[in-house]
Amino acid sequence: MKQMIEQISFLKRWKFRAGKFSLMIGMALSLFISLSFNSEVLAQQEVRGTVIDAETQETMPGVNIQVKGTMRGTTTNTDGIFSIRLDSNQAVLVFTFIGYESHEANVERGEELVVELQPVVGELEGLVVVGYGAIRKRDMTGAVGRVSSEDIGKITSLNAEQSLQGRVSGVQITTTSGAPGAAAAVRIRGVGTFNNSSPIYVVDGVILDDISFLNSSDIESMEILKDASATAIYGSRGANGVILVQTKHGSRSVEGPVVNVSAEGGIQQLEQQIDLLSGREFAIISNEIRPGTYNNVDAVPNTNWQDLIFESAPMQNHQVSVSGASDNADYYISLGYFNQSGIIGKSNFERINLKFNNNYRLNENIKLGNNITISPYKQQVAPNATFAVYRAQPVLEPYYPDGSFGVVHNVGNPLADLDHSNNFNSGTRVVGNIFTEAIVANDFLLRSSFGIDAALHRSENFTPAYTVFNPDGTASQQDNTYSDLFKGEGINYTWLWENTVNYVKDFDRHQVNSVAGFTMQQTRSEILQLSGQNVIRNGEDFWYIQPSYIVDEANNINMLSSIFNGVDAGQYYNMMSFLGRVVYSFDNKYMTTLTLRRDGSSKFADENQWGYFPSFALGWNIDQENFMQSVKVLNLLKIRASWGMIGNEKINYYDRFSRVNAGLLAVFGNPDEAFVAGTYGKTGNPDLKWETTTQTDIGLEFALLENRLTGEIDFYNRVTDDILVELSTPGHLGNGQGQRIRYNAASVLNRGVEFTVGWQDRLGELGYGINVLGNTIHNEVQAIGGNSGIDSLLIGGFLANGQAVTLSSVGHPIGAFYGYKTDGIFQNPAELDAYPHLSQAGVGDLRFVDTDGDGDLDGDDRIYLGSPIPTFVYGFSVDLNYKDLDFSIGLQGQYGNKIFNGKNVVRPDPYNFEQHVWNRWSGEGTSNSEPQASFGGYNYLPSDRFIQDGSFLRIRSLIFGYSLPNNLLNSVGISKARFYVKATNLFTFTNYTGYTPEIGSSDVLSNSIDNGIYPIPRVISLGFNTTF
Amino acid sequence: MKTKRIFYITALIFALTACNDFLSVNPQSELTQEAFPNTQEDALQATNAVYSSLRDWHYHSGGYPILDFMSDDGHKGSNPNDGASTQGPYENFTHSTTQDGLDRWWNVLFQGIRRANIVIEKVEPIAMDENLKDRLIGEASFLRGLYYFDLVRAFGGVPLVKTTEPDLKISRSTVDQTYELIIEDLELAIDNLPFKSEYSNNDLGRATKGAAKALLAKVYLFQQDFENAEIYALEVITSDEYDLEPDFYDANGPDGEHGVESVFEIGAVETGGGGGNQYANTQGVRGTPNRGWGFNRPSVDLREAFGEDDPRRGGTIIELGDVIDGIEIIGDGTTPDETTDDDGNVIEIESYNRKVWIPGTSTDTQFGHNRRLIRFADILLIAAEALNENDKPNEALIQLNRVRERARQGDETILPDITETNKEVLRENILHERRIELALEGHRFWDLVRTGNADDVLVPAGFVTGKHELLPIPQSEIDLSQGSLSQNDNWN
Repeated sequence: MKQMIEQISFLKRWKFRAGKFSLMIGMALSLFISLSFNSEVLAQQEVRGTVIDAETQETMPGVNIQVKGTMRGTTTNTDGIFSIRLDSNQAVLVFTFIGYESHEANVERGEELVVELQPVVGELEGLVVVGYGAIRKRDMTGAVGRVSSEDIGKITSLNAEQSLQGRVSGVQITTTSGAPGAAAAVRIRGVGTFNNSSPIYVVDGVILDDISFLNSSDIESMEILKDASATAIYGSRGANGVILVQTKHGSRSVEGPVVNVSAEGGIQQLEQQIDLLSGREFAIISNEIRPGTYNNVDAVPNTNWQDLIFESAPMQNHQVSVSGASDNADYYISLGYFNQSGIIGKSNFERINLKFNNNYRLNENIKLGNNITISPYKQQVAPNATFAVYRAQPVLEPYYPDGSFGVVHNVGNPLADLDHSNNFNSGTRVVGNIFTEAIVANDFLLRSSFGIDAALHRSENFTPAYTVFNPDGTASQQDNTYSDLFKGEGINYTWLWENTVNYVKDFDRHQVNSVAGFTMQQTRSEILQLSGQNVIRNGEDFWYIQPSYIVDEANNINMLSSIFNGVDAGQYYNMMSFLGRVVYSFDNKYMTTLTLRRDGSSKFADENQWGYFPSFALGWNIDQENFMQSVKVLNLLKIRASWGMIGNEKINYYDRFSRVNAGLLAVFGNPDEAFVAGTYGKTGNPDLKWETTTQTDIGLEFALLENRLTGEIDFYNRVTDDILVELSTPGHLGNGQGQRIRYNAASVLNRGVEFTVGWQDRLGELGYGINVLGNTIHNEVQAIGGNSGIDSLLIGGFLANGQAVTLSSVGHPIGAFYGYKTDGIFQNPAELDAYPHLSQAGVGDLRFVDTDGDGDLDGDDRIYLGSPIPTFVYGFSVDLNYKDLDFSIGLQGQYGNKIFNGKNVVRPDPYNFEQHVWNRWSGEGTSNSEPQASFGGYNYLPSDRFIQDGSFLRIRSLIFGYSLPNNLLNSVGISKARFYVKATNLFTFTNYTGYTPEIGSSDVLSNSIDNGIYPIPRVISLGFNTTF
Repeated sequence: MKTKRIFYITALIFALTACNDFLSVNPQSELTQEAFPNTQEDALQATNAVYSSLRDWHYHSGGYPILDFMSDDGHKGSNPNDGASTQGPYENFTHSTTQDGLDRWWNVLFQGIRRANIVIEKVEPIAMDENLKDRLIGEASFLRGLYYFDLVRAFGGVPLVKTTEPDLKISRSTVDQTYELIIEDLELAIDNLPFKSEYSNNDLGRATKGAAKALLAKVYLFQQDFENAEIYALEVITSDEYDLEPDFYDANGPDGEHGVESVFEIGAVETGGGGGNQYANTQGVRGTPNRGWGFNRPSVDLREAFGEDDPRRGGTIIELGDVIDGIEIIGDGTTPDETTDDDGNVIEIESYNRKVWIPGTSTDTQFGHNRRLIRFADILLIAAEALNENDKPNEALIQLNRVRERARQGDETILPDITETNKEVLRENILHERRIELALEGHRFWDLVRTGNADDVLVPAGFVTGKHELLPIPQSEIDLSQGSLSQNDNWN
């Protein structure tokens, strides 16, 4: 993308000679780009010069200089000096630098010149990367957020998208787990569909579903495309937003290669423990529930299982990169290493990143390049110890006196679980593209890019045979009779071939910036899984699946095969697209953007295979109007409005097909024997089509007081129609219990306001910046079902015991919580008799409200209890620098969402309790909120008792940095060296009683349900970064 | 420039022609329904799949033996909390239109019907052995009739689906129309199917001419058409294909699987390789030994109905302390051994269904129980009942006393032959014999409703005449039908 910026910036009038030289770049590429050139080798002669800031008169390093109409270009060195060869006697040089007006100079060979660049107001001249091109910020009509490499470095995390949290308005990032390597759930402008609501990522032009393979340090910038004007160019995939990622490239701003070394090491800790009952408290409560359980409550053990399971864990992140450029090539090569251990033992994530971004200028008109990342990883995954630790009774000892594991009734000893866990994932992901670009017919830039996303994932899970014994020597339930071995292997392979033509031209006061293109993409994947039992020895050397017979000792006859569960599931779909966009601006005042993409997908049947995704936008730079010129305080005032329709197609490729279930058995014969059976399986829906999101956006951008105060406010309204949902069908169709068919049958509204306001200034030597941002979300299901004859609600959020706690219905948010509404405690038998109640209710139990007023308390009385989606998401940051010191703090929060404390609800057996149980009802008048103690049952039916406030404010990042003084460094040839202390997730202000109020889920119907989430750790790290 | 343009155009044409192929992708590893069933092997597999529904846990009245809970023979069972709000309400007729299990039962029966329709509709055009084709269509017709027979008895008239592509909305047919389809299906099955003795050992468990006749006798019995019930029951009895097992335990036990008494049974193998049936696990002994969940507890009333000396009591009820196959029945710690009412009367005694007991060591082996859907004793008693109704008491007594003779196990001091010829008294004797002989096999509730005796027997438990003869149509189905399904009388 960065190359594209360079080219578009000089793509104006120029000369071109067609001729003999032809270039073939691979079979596929040559189809589209087979160009003929006459390379006229002329005597080389240089032009030299210096570029300075017109206001400060300081020299400017890193300025782009391009010979107009060619690929030839260079950049100024640290002293602002450049030299460039000319092929002809005369040429026009174009000087560009972000934040400055571009400048053109007519030069002759041998000339030496001084060029002054004028800083621009509000960075209007700067270019912004958008899909398939770059346009001037002044001409932008879409809502686009941006984070720079500097902001990305402010938190320590595996995933670069974590840095968007609290930094870009309209974006909500929630971690699904604190386990090393866990993914984050990213939502842009609310939750747009019942299906996959994640944005797509475009890394250097390659369209992807995630960027977990990328090293944050390799990223130059991320642009978040939010409204239809910006996302429509991605058509059927843009409906949930698009995140464009530009990785770093070599530049000539410094003489010779630039070496950057960074290293960071940190310690992670549990932020806070959950307040659970002590051994004594638990014994007292147990005696109330089952009198006489503990004879002496003062003599019971007091085990804090949380102390035993959580530990401090190290984390490290290192990187070396080398970059540079010459006249005909530039390069960026880096090696990164990331290693995070979990705060629960036996969990770890380790990743290596190799990055090669190269560009080669083959001649005046043709460029070839590559952006490639290779990223092997290894992960160890711990069993869900969090839930076990929450439930384990504190009156049990973790170990017997002989050192063997003690029994933990009903839960299993979490330490034994952990000790016997060997669960590994590993793999390699290769993502990248090779592209060629050519300038033809003066104003056209042709680009053809072939990209791949190839991944191999392996998983291996071994549990040895082991038994935890009861005190009397019998085997407890935690008894794995035979060792278990599981292996899985998955291959994903996507290729993407994109061909585009960009045309950028000025006609006096008219400016046109357009693109047209044709793309094809194929995705295939396959998974193989195999399980075995009874491996001959426990060691890693024997983790191979071999046939072995297991003798049923009791019967001495049954022979079970030890190998089972072969699974071979594949994904296979193709896509083909045509795209186009025209940005037209008049006199820098009035802009319009028209976008159209036509996508064809193999996921849909012939009639619905192709979809059109248009958008239209207008913009008005009010500050450029003559009547505004007197308003000196105003540097920028822009109004923009956009409308468009964008799609989503993230469904299984086979949903449209009615398939055959060949995996059934019928049993006949004497003796009984199983025979293969097959019949119609899942019914497909051949009428499926795209989900369509219609989004309207009205935005205002402003800059005041010499750009000290900047801001952006957007109002957005997103309506997603034809949402692909799986709905129940009438039983008489014979699809079977619980079988659902996918229909285009739901609508969802997301509406809100988002804003970003920043203030940047200096007070003497103190530079400071303050940023505040936020967005509101109103999420509402507008329709489910309709004419398809099917459901009017969608149930989800299933807890471990199968209870559903979310219900998405018209008028409420997606994944809304539902259950009984409570109204105090039955204080005496008279109250119990006076109110409708479930048969299990007694005195001292919760009083559920007969919400439908029919005099009966039943399932129909369960009602909407709150939304998992926050109504307001916000961020706040302050950055300071004083001489060699820098400081930065970032806060992030959300407001208005609820959390369902699912781990508290699932209680089939006696488990430990949260501290609130200590305040239990124990007689009339003792409590009207906490019912009498019980080990489960009635009082633990899903009700608003378990709905907690999910609002929080978190100190997301805190950094102190110190840069060594330049004069010291220069003497040893180092240009920059900085040391820093950094805290990530330092503290969270919340009323939620779990480890973290940030509970994401990739399934929008199961959002914000705490089933025992792996805590998100606090990280304190030390690092340094040096450049030479 | 010209050559270049041609190049671009060619590239574009190439891309466009590639379009159609490029965007047509077939599912990987799975056949689509257009391609199945197409061969003789497919036809056989498709027919096997119709049987597969019989082992679906949901097939057994939604997973739990609710038909016995709703009769005077059984209680919910398990421990008091287990299923208290889901299955418990069936016992005292407080179940609602959203009660757990209703939708599962409804759905699995229609799923079986769909699988049968696939065979009936799609096997016909296949070029294959014509005799086999007839047999397979006969098997599918038998099973479709069997599934509809459950539907009509449980829910009344239902939507009649006879094609693989039914309309989204179909309203309910009447009870009579539903029975007409069942009779049609069974008559075709009788024509097409072989006798049990004509099947090879490997094919035992498939529908037979005898099974179809036996089921048809029962269908007529439920319609009070005693003449036809007599005809078909006697055809089965005189076919020489069936007899009673000498030992009552074998009528349902593992040694009698596919034996002489078995008219139609559901084959099942132990879990591990699939092919299991959870029916017996749901009812198996809870606690020690751990054989299952312990649902369907024999009632005190049933215990008393056996009288003191009927050996069938031991073959029906497992008591705590019994030793079976060398294993002592200790029972479940969370279940009271005896439950008393407020006046101190014993209303429940921890005990289990002996008829689903399978020798073995674990819950897994329970999955190998072959549930007998139709056994010869049932047919004898249908014949006896029909003959008595048709005013042939002496012939009725022959059939009735065959059952009693086996029951007395050679002990001439007990269970003497019945000689009663008064029609009303004999009817009661026969129905009593049905209750004792077939207890906990899922017949009792329907027999009470069919004979009108539910009024007397079940009203104390909460039965409301005019309402509880049928289960409600599952509320979820009413909702999904968007108005095309009506609810049963007096259910709201």
